[in-house]
Amino acid sequence: MAGIALITFAGLVALCLAMQKHFADLLRRKPRPGQLRLLRGAGWLLLLASLVLSVHLRGWAHGLVQWVAVLMAGATVWVFGLPYLPRLLLGLAAVSVVLGPLLVVYAG
Amino acid sequence: MKEGFRQAMAWLHTWTGLIFGWLLFAIFLTGTLSYFKEEITHWSRPEVRSQALDPTHALEVAQRYLLDNAGHSGTWFIRLPNAREAGLNVGYRDTHGGPRGVVSQTLDTQTGEPLQARDSRGGEFFYRFHFQLQMPHPYGRWLSTFCAFIMLLGLVTGIITHKKFFKEFFTFRPGKGQRSWLDGHNAIGVLVLPFHLMISYSSLVLFMYLVMPAGIMASYGNDTGKYFNDLFGRNDAPAPAQVAAPLVPLAGLYVRVQELQPGARIGDIQVQNPGDRNARVTFSQSSADHVAYRRSANWTFDGTTGALLSQGKPESGVMMAAFSFAGLHMGNFAGPWLRWLYFFFGLAGTAVIGTGLVMWLGKRQLKHAGNERLPGELRLVEVLNIASMSGLLLAVAGFFWANRLIPLGVQGRADWEVNTFFITWGLTLVHAMLRSGHRAWAEQLALGALAFALLPLLNALTTGQGLNHSLPAGDWAMAGFDLTALATGLFLAWLAGKLSRKPRAAAGRARRAASTPPAETAGAS
Amino acid sequence: MTRKTASLPLSYRLAVTSRSLAALLGGYLLASMASVCIALVAPLPQVDATLTGLLLSFVFYLLAFIWCFACRSALRAWLGVLTPTVLLSVISGLAYWMTSA
Repeated sequence: MAGIALITFAGLVALCLAMQKHFADLLRRKPRPGQLRLLRGAGWLLLLASLVLSVHLRGWAHGLVQWVAVLMAGATVWVFGLPYLPRLLLGLAAVSVVLGPLLVVYAG
Repeated sequence: MKEGFRQAMAWLHTWTGLIFGWLLFAIFLTGTLSYFKEEITHWSRPEVRSQALDPTHALEVAQRYLLDNAGHSGTWFIRLPNAREAGLNVGYRDTHGGPRGVVSQTLDTQTGEPLQARDSRGGEFFYRFHFQLQMPHPYGRWLSTFCAFIMLLGLVTGIITHKKFFKEFFTFRPGKGQRSWLDGHNAIGVLVLPFHLMISYSSLVLFMYLVMPAGIMASYGNDTGKYFNDLFGRNDAPAPAQVAAPLVPLAGLYVRVQELQPGARIGDIQVQNPGDRNARVTFSQSSADHVAYRRSANWTFDGTTGALLSQGKPESGVMMAAFSFAGLHMGNFAGPWLRWLYFFFGLAGTAVIGTGLVMWLGKRQLKHAGNERLPGELRLVEVLNIASMSGLLLAVAGFFWANRLIPLGVQGRADWEVNTFFITWGLTLVHAMLRSGHRAWAEQLALGALAFALLPLLNALTTGQGLNHSLPAGDWAMAGFDLTALATGLFLAWLAGKLSRKPRAAAGRARRAASTPPAETAGAS
Repeated sequence: MTRKTASLPLSYRLAVTSRSLAALLGGYLLASMASVCIALVAPLPQVDATLTGLLLSFVFYLLAFIWCFACRSALRAWLGVLTPTVLLSVISGLAYWMTSA
């Protein structure tokens, strides 16, 4: 579950950063033309990947439930953690892109 | 209602939220606790020791006990111990029986003797309370189900009202007074929305047969029992033949079920007409094995020959939908991590309601910031807010303190634990009436912090199963309870601390806000 | 919706009460009738049709509530809830008569 949670988290953060306002606030610079679109695409892709993995590993019922659960948990951690620990959470999101798939492969 | 759709929905959201908020807070809090009801029961009855699971042995023990004690009864019930429930539960129908005509007993799986453990409802109290509200049947269920409907209405009207749903999806700005409360309320509402919607709607599904009987009556007429037989795919057991015949060993049937469904965990076993030629034994798969309730996951055997007679009928699509909602609500399928998530999402739902209640009053209090006394109706809301939130938390703590302090041999001690809960709750109401709002909050939260934080110590002193014992022994349920109590105490202390710092800052903000046109605070966002 | 600190006019209070009753009682009637209609009319096995009626009834209750407070007057609230109720009961009656005949 941890690996899928991390991939989902990374996807959520990417979608958040794909919004002009949040990109500027969090990364303290203006986004280049294609960057927002790239982040949005990456975000949705990561979310889709985590959904597919979750269903593949645990079947439709358990897989779907777990995916929605980690989605809600990740979003809550992000939104409530952001005012206090923005850099830690951004770092966690970046690391998750690699750590997430690793955990899925080795821990299932 | 004439000002526009969104404003009308905001009005509806605000007023239904207020009227039902206090009760909904209690339902959500006790419901959230229910996700760990087995663990709470484990803490509440520390004399019950967990043992290695041995289903076949447990069944032998249960069968022997029931043969000795319930030979006259027409129906036996057995509930095997599992990873979260250490006791072996047996029951039988008896005209002189307890509630609902069933006598229940918890057995020690090793000795087969009734367990000698302190009489306590444990987690079951909170579980039953959250849908029965300590009211006589069926009023409690009606009321709690109606509250669930209001919660659903609140969610829908909240969604309609929340203008910048997607634009402000990731927005939470702490430290800005009323704005922060609204952000927080919206955020926990929106981010955990799938859970909130699921839990509210599934509550309706669980009792829809009770609150919406018209459809059943129109379709089935007088034979409403047939609806339930059709739904659960069961046939009534044959009448006893009045011919004595020994019951086959249940342990053997258990092995048969494992052959039919390898790895299945067994939840309930029911024996009808034991000792008669027309005996029937039905094994039901544990609800922990599937997300949805599965009526197909049960096997009925002939009680004298051991032959498999039938398996549960497959579910239709509509049944799967309804049973899925039921299963999702109960969350029995959840492993440890997911169960904790259920717990936190439940707390989130509780917080949505709580923040709403605080904001309802906070907005209106701003208009009276200069005066010393609130008008009657606002004072009523303030008192109810305090009693229903910090008061309820104190009542919960009171239940656990009673559990450890009431002497073991006392007759009806389980009832006294429950009485302590309600007496404490009542006292917090009186306290809230006597003290100013601000002081009442601070005092109750501080007392709550102490009450929860000291529970692990109380546990260690009275039972010797404190953290110093449960952690090394790997008793995660016991340790988890103590640690959660400690964390709750710390959280309440932090809240109490924040409150005690507020007066000057809040008054200053209130004065400023009262003098400027309330463009942001009025209406919806 | 801003509230004046002076007490609200009686006509307003009556209107709100009327809408509330329309939502609570009328809405429940509508939901019940909807579940009856679906149970009798849906082309599914008896138990499935009844189950579908039960599951969907709450959607009707929800919509009734929203209508009663979104519409322009208390009268419209009642009409908007009772008219579909009557309609559904007529359809249900026909369905019942046809299946029992």
